[in-house]
Amino acid sequence: MDSLSASTAESFRLLFSGDAALWVIIFTSFTVSVRAILIAAPLAFVVAFLMAHLRYRGRRTMIAGFSALQSIPAVVVGLTVYLVFSRSGPLGDLQLLFTHSSMIIGQILLSFPLLVALSHAAFQAADRRVWETSVTLGAKPYRAFMTLLHEIRFGLIAALLAGFGRIIAEVGCSMMVGGNILGYTRNIPTAIALETTRGEFAQAIALGMVLLVLALLLNGLLAFFQGRGEMSS
Amino acid sequence: MSEIIHYSALRKTVHGQLLLDIDSLEIYEQACVALSGRNGAGKSTLMRIIAGLEAPDSVTVSFDGQTMPWRRACQRMRTHVIYLHQNPYLFDRSVTDNIAYGLRHRELSIKDISRKVAEALDWAGISHLQMRNARELSGGERQRVAFARARILKPRVLLLDEPTTNMDSEAREQTYRMIKRLKDDGVSILLATHEFHTVAHLCDVHLSLESGSLRPQSIDSAGGERKIIPYG
Repeated sequence: MDSLSASTAESFRLLFSGDAALWVIIFTSFTVSVRAILIAAPLAFVVAFLMAHLRYRGRRTMIAGFSALQSIPAVVVGLTVYLVFSRSGPLGDLQLLFTHSSMIIGQILLSFPLLVALSHAAFQAADRRVWETSVTLGAKPYRAFMTLLHEIRFGLIAALLAGFGRIIAEVGCSMMVGGNILGYTRNIPTAIALETTRGEFAQAIALGMVLLVLALLLNGLLAFFQGRGEMSS
Repeated sequence: MSEIIHYSALRKTVHGQLLLDIDSLEIYEQACVALSGRNGAGKSTLMRIIAGLEAPDSVTVSFDGQTMPWRRACQRMRTHVIYLHQNPYLFDRSVTDNIAYGLRHRELSIKDISRKVAEALDWAGISHLQMRNARELSGGERQRVAFARARILKPRVLLLDEPTTNMDSEAREQTYRMIKRLKDDGVSILLATHEFHTVAHLCDVHLSLESGSLRPQSIDSAGGERKIIPYG
């Protein structure tokens, strides 16, 4: 018990004293995950829109496929990216393994199905009149698409936050393709896993608190962006 | 009175059933055409085809005297024909932004847009609502915003799909007055309704959609001054 309270006190000291090693880990986590989500989201929204808007053979299979891929284990994605970028892999010459780039690619692959599935649900629920009204008022397809994004923004923000929540806290993929290199590819979840196995609980608790605060913040943001939370009349 | 759009041999099947089988439909300048028919007769589908929102199985379209395929006609007519849904959709933004929406696709200065929006607000009698979110308005107010948003684009043809559905009598009267003013401004109107007698005073022509075909109907009982249009 003493050791737990001592570790907790130490974790606060680490957080608020501006411990460089700790903040590099936090910074790495955020830069990698934010970049991954910023790359994945626009493409996911377009794919989701096309799935909701167009009628083509195999559409239902595609929707079911993205739904199924939402629950793919992070380690499987990590393993796939590892095999592709390992020295003997098809893209081994790019030497991306154990870099931020490979971590970003892994996180894009992890978040993409979730983003597509959730944003597809938002597009599917959108009022058909949004698109039709835009077009009949002279909007080109791109502008009509942007208007549609605006009209269903709460659903899309929820998809974004869910996608970000999925990748900021995943261990398996980052560990495998990032290598958990101190000061470079070590991020919050991989650092927590490592420090716990080493019995260094202070840093693990400090990083765990960051993730908890982040989870609260994301949910708070979602509640804020959802406005008054009323059904539209 | 010159013809703007002429559809001939328009066919449309829905779920394997022939819904529309129209030999000829003309829309003339400055005319108000009532399109009546029971629910499910295909009025909305016909309007959506004219608006370019739904494709027919086959049709020949002539626009301003030029015959062209439906798809090309839709592109040509894009800025001239505006369709208003039965319950017009207003974007989740202010009344002003809703009315300015269509103008933002045209190369106009912000000053010109502001001036035109102010005129449109004044025309519809909704200047006091300009900063309100359009979603917060009543049914009648929403309809006025939708009419102002369409009018500001100076369309040649306005397609109104049951514009007074679910309205109280006061809102209906306001809507009729706006339709009359649009007609007086020179806009051609195709007005779908399943209660012709309520809009008879506005219309020059009455076409009834029965079993997929258009049949000209008499409008004499409605009284009033009529333009002479060579329908039927």
